[in-house]
Amino acid sequence: MGRYRRKKMHKGDKPLKEKYRTRHRTRDLDQIHGDLKSPDSLLKQEVDLDKPGAAQFYCLTCAKYFINDKALTDHFKSKPHKRRMKALETEPYTQEEADRAGGMGSYVAPKKIEVLVQGAKTVDKEGDEIMKPV
Amino acid sequence: MRVEKCFFCSSPMYPGHGIHFVRNDSKIFRFCRSKCHKAFQKKRNPRKARWTKAFRKAAGKELTVDASLEFEKRRNEPVKYNKELWQNTLKAMKRIEEIKARRQSHFIANRLKKGKELRKEADRKEVEKNIHLIKSPAAGLKQKKQMVEIVTERDVEEMESN
Repeated sequence: MGRYRRKKMHKGDKPLKEKYRTRHRTRDLDQIHGDLKSPDSLLKQEVDLDKPGAAQFYCLTCAKYFINDKALTDHFKSKPHKRRMKALETEPYTQEEADRAGGMGSYVAPKKIEVLVQGAKTVDKEGDEIMKPV
Repeated sequence: MRVEKCFFCSSPMYPGHGIHFVRNDSKIFRFCRSKCHKAFQKKRNPRKARWTKAFRKAAGKELTVDASLEFEKRRNEPVKYNKELWQNTLKAMKRIEEIKARRQSHFIANRLKKGKELRKEADRKEVEKNIHLIKSPAAGLKQKKQMVEIVTERDVEEMESN
């Protein structure tokens, strides 16, 4: 009698392969910079029951849906969120920068950008949320 | 024929090499090899990966602003073949490459000078701080003591003779 079942102790690189599949691709930093310019379409979404929290609790900078307000505010205090905020402070990397770095013209250092803070929500007289730059 | 630059490492990509990734907003990203493609998939920042051209330029490791870098450009204008122009261009390319290489090596040599100074300064400080390892602070104390004794004895003798 031999062994019938191979013990599945090691997964190899399958989890990584699945993580980096194109269909699992999350938003890139340059796309998020675009989102930050027109935040309303993402922050004031219609109720969509297929999305977490019915798409009512969205973090712009991390491009992520949360299930409720508490989860969202907790997320604003978290390390990944702060890391993301820091990464967004510089201009996004572009093909043009790659060309310049490769010797097509002089290299121009990336500039700093002001990032909108979603966590610091202040409510004005009419009850609308306003976003403040850092 | 067009030689593109890799999105991640900025190395030249000749036709038939590398891979194109088209994002769902129809933006094209070109990668010279799977190393660059994988780094992009992992959302690595080319400015922070030490082996990319973008890092070397952003960190001030290489010559960034220079007139010799302004010749290579995407011109987007077809030029009719002309033998003389072709020959002149080839000659100019070689000459420009020569000048560029010289300036770049000069820049790097200058950059490394500062480290040499700093190293020298650090060495000097270390010697100053640990001088007791080279020369004992007690060295010469015994001799000094004897000298003092001799001098005092002589003084006493002189006093007595007077």
